[in-house]
Amino acid sequence: VRQECHGDAARTAGGSGVTRKCTALDLLEEEQSQGFIITFCSALDNILGGGVQLTKITEICGAPGVGKTQLCMQLAVDVQIPECFGGVAGEAVFIDTEGSFMVDRVVDIAAACVQHCHLIAEAQQEEDHGKALETFSLENILSHIYYFRCRDYTELLAQVYLLPEFLSEHSKVRLVVIDGIAFPFRHDFEDLSLRTRLLNGLAQQLIIIANDHKSAVILTNQMTTRIGQNQSTLVPALGKCSTLT
Amino acid sequence: MVWRSVLFSLPVEMVVLRAGLCPGLTEDMIQLLRANGIRTVVDFVSSDLEDVAQKCSLSYKALVAVRRVLLAQFSAFPANGADLYEELKSSTAILPTGSPSLDQLLDSGLYTGEVTELMGAPGSGKTQVCLGIAASVSLGLKQHVLFLDSTGGFTASRLYQILQAQTEDEEEQLEALQRIQVVRVFHIYEVLSALQELRDRLSQQVLSSTGPLKMVLLDSVSAVIYPLLGGRQSEGLALMMQLSRELKTLAREFSLAVVVTNQVTRDSSTGPLKPALGRSWSFVPSTRVLLESKEGSWEKGTSHRAASLAKSPRQPTGIQVQLDIGNGDVLEPSLVTPTQGL
Repeated sequence: VRQECHGDAARTAGGSGVTRKCTALDLLEEEQSQGFIITFCSALDNILGGGVQLTKITEICGAPGVGKTQLCMQLAVDVQIPECFGGVAGEAVFIDTEGSFMVDRVVDIAAACVQHCHLIAEAQQEEDHGKALETFSLENILSHIYYFRCRDYTELLAQVYLLPEFLSEHSKVRLVVIDGIAFPFRHDFEDLSLRTRLLNGLAQQLIIIANDHKSAVILTNQMTTRIGQNQSTLVPALGKCSTLT
Repeated sequence: MVWRSVLFSLPVEMVVLRAGLCPGLTEDMIQLLRANGIRTVVDFVSSDLEDVAQKCSLSYKALVAVRRVLLAQFSAFPANGADLYEELKSSTAILPTGSPSLDQLLDSGLYTGEVTELMGAPGSGKTQVCLGIAASVSLGLKQHVLFLDSTGGFTASRLYQILQAQTEDEEEQLEALQRIQVVRVFHIYEVLSALQELRDRLSQQVLSSTGPLKMVLLDSVSAVIYPLLGGRQSEGLALMMQLSRELKTLAREFSLAVVVTNQVTRDSSTGPLKPALGRSWSFVPSTRVLLESKEGSWEKGTSHRAASLAKSPRQPTGIQVQLDIGNGDVLEPSLVTPTQGL
C-alpha cells in the first residue's frame, strides 16, 4: 500500500511526468536553463561549475570546525536571493542533527546578504532590483528557512520520509540541508549492515526529493581516519559503501 | 504491470495439474492424484507410475499416455550445436564502447544478448564510462539507447561534452542526444515497470519514435536493490532475482546489450574488494569489469582509471587496461598481463 501511495504522489507532483521519461536532449535543455545556488565565494562556485546544482545531492565533508555548518547557513540564505540578482528565489529546509544551528549567526549572514544586494542595486539602478529588494528583507529570509531538529537516526529517517508531503505544500523550497548525516549513524550502531541499508535507502529517498521537487540537497559529513599499511589518511566517514557522493 | 510479468514467467514447477491440461486428464484422476500428494506437473512426471497406478487405482496405460503428452507440452526442445551457432552468428552484434582499450578488455565490445557489469567504488568512473558508451553507440552506430538512471547521476551537459569531443557537427550531436532516452527510476518497482514497458514496446515492434533499440544501461542496479537486502525482509532477494530474469530475457529475446553498474564492498576494513549484491547476483552478468582509481588519486583529481576483467566467458580474467574518462579519448592501450588479478 505504501508503494502505491508513493506512486500516486509522484504522479500528482507533475512536472516530470509519470515515469520520468525524456530524451537526453530534453534533459540538456532543462539543465541549461536551471539556475545554481551561488555560495558568494567565487573560487567555490568555480569548482562547483557555477554553484550548488539543483536536482543533485552535494556532500560537504571536513574536519570539525572547518566551516561546514557555516556554509550550510550561508546557502540557506543564498537560495532566497531574487532572480534578478542571479539567485533562484527559493526557500530552504534545514534539518539539524547536531544542534549546531545558531540563529544569531544566520541573522548576521542574512543582513550582510541584503546589504550586498542593496549595493548591487545602487550600482546598477534597474527597476526590478528595487521591487525585489522590498520582499528581500531580514524577516522574510528568516521566515523562509524551515528548521527541523532530529535527535537520533529514527527521527532523521522519519523526517526525510515525511519531507515529500511537506515539500508539496511548500513548493517554493529549493534547498534541503541535512547538517550532520553521519552523526546519528556513527555511534551506538551495532548492526553495520543495517546502517548501510538505512543509508542507502536514505540516499534513494533524498535523490527522489531532489529530482521531483527540483531542489538541491546538501549533506554534511564528518571525517574519519583510515589507517593504511604505511600511513593514515583522512577520509569521509560512513565508508566507501555509502552512495551519498 | 509487475504482476503481469510474474504470471507469464511462472516456472514449470508451479504448474498445477488440472482437468483439461491435456486430453486424458480427468477431474477424478486429478482428485485421486492429489489425495496421494501429486499436485504439479513435475510431481507427476517424476514419480514412479507403477507405484502411482497401484496407490490411486488408476490404469497404468492411461498414466503413461498422460505423461507422454505432458512431457511433450512442457519440455524444451533440444537444438544441436551447429544450429545454435548459426543462429547466434546471425543475431548477435558486438557494439564497440568508443574506448579501444575497453573494447580490448571486452573482446572487441559489448555483446548483444548478454548482461555486462561495471563495478567500482564511488567515484571510480562507472557513470562516466556508461555515458561514454551511450554516446558512442548513439553517435557512432546511430542506434537508440535506453538509459535507466537510478542514482540521479546522469548529467546531460556531461554527455553533451563527450559528444562534442567526438564530433564537431552540431546536427549530429543533437540527433545523437535525441536517440538516447533517459528514464529516472529511483525504486525497484519503477525499474521493473520501465523494463515491462520496454518489453511491451519491443514485442509489438513499434518502431515509431524509438527506432531500433540495441542497448539498455542501468546505472546503478545496487542503488535500488541494496535497501531491500538483508534484515528481516525476505522480498529483497526475490525482487533481485526477478529483476535479473527480466534483464537476461530482454537481452536474449530482443538481442540487446545490457550494461549494469554495481558497487563494491569489503568483508572487513582491510579485505579485498568484491562486488556488492552477493553470490546470487554474481551469476547474472556474463562479463564483469572492475574500475579503480589509482591509489589515493581521489585527492589529486586525475581522470585516469584502471579497468580489470573480473569475469568473462571469452577472455582470461585479470587483464588490466588504463582508461581515461576525461573526454572520451583514451590513452595508448597498455595491456598489463595478469600477475595480481583482482
